[in-house]
Amino acid sequence: MAKARKLKQLRPDDPYRRAAQAVVAVRAKEVFKRADGVLDTTDVERVHAMRVATRRLRAALEAFAPCFPKKPYRRILQDVKKLADALGERRDCDVQLASLEGLEDLADREALAAQTLTARLRDEQLAANVVLSKALDRAKRGHLRRRLKRLVS
Amino acid sequence: MKARPIDGLDPDGPLVAAARLIVRVRTDELCDLVTPALDPSAAAAQHDLRIAAKRLRYLLELTEFCFGPYAAVARGHAKHLQTLLGDVHDCDVLLARMHGTAAPDPGIQQLIDRYTARRVVAYDAFRHAWTAIEGEAFRNRLLAALDEPPAGRPNLSV
Repeated sequence: MAKARKLKQLRPDDPYRRAAQAVVAVRAKEVFKRADGVLDTTDVERVHAMRVATRRLRAALEAFAPCFPKKPYRRILQDVKKLADALGERRDCDVQLASLEGLEDLADREALAAQTLTARLRDEQLAANVVLSKALDRAKRGHLRRRLKRLVS
Repeated sequence: MKARPIDGLDPDGPLVAAARLIVRVRTDELCDLVTPALDPSAAAAQHDLRIAAKRLRYLLELTEFCFGPYAAVARGHAKHLQTLLGDVHDCDVLLARMHGTAAPDPGIQQLIDRYTARRVVAYDAFRHAWTAIEGEAFRNRLLAALDEPPAGRPNLSV
């Protein structure tokens, strides 16, 4: 499981706003650092790692919501959610496939049923990958990374 | 499941004050969702509890350094609940898929039986874990930790 990256020293009595900037900056960086290779269906851990990073970013954005200007914050949160949803859809296929492919000691009919479900899931995984590719592209064209940097500056 | 809104957060105040408010609300949210989730068949309630556990876990990852030692323990518990309920959810997703097949056959039925049994094991693991967590007065101890000083632990390295 992807570990959260260590932040520089924050103290409990630091201003909430300053903590917001520091935390969201680090969490945002982690997301984009994990974008490489997420569309590779032979290495499903990459999607998982990016999804976890996106969840952590979203959690940070929600925890520090009052510290940011409303309009850009809401748009960014919405875009992060869309990215998270696309990652989640792909990840769900990966998890179901891993479960079915990990089954052992199947009776013949059961094995055949598992194969049929697996084939369907593979198709869905490919479709989810297309959705994810579009979401990544949208995030890039929408300058999500740059907007996040601006939010915390 | 929408997170409860939180009033009274002051961006210009100290982090610890804001964190205290938010953790209180998220802790109550989680604890309020447990009872309905203890019904073994309540898949939607278990899903909501998993989301609440996830929220509290990620929140404590960011803020536990502001509080007494039990905050880190609570984070571990939230993570554990999230994982166990995730196992239940994974069974539910596959079972829904199998039940939804247009022409159920004996092979699908065998898989349904297999995953139903697997779900029972996963639910029991969650139930057992919650009993232990509740047994150590999770809610009260976490809320108490919010008013305790961090006691010489390093500052935030999340």
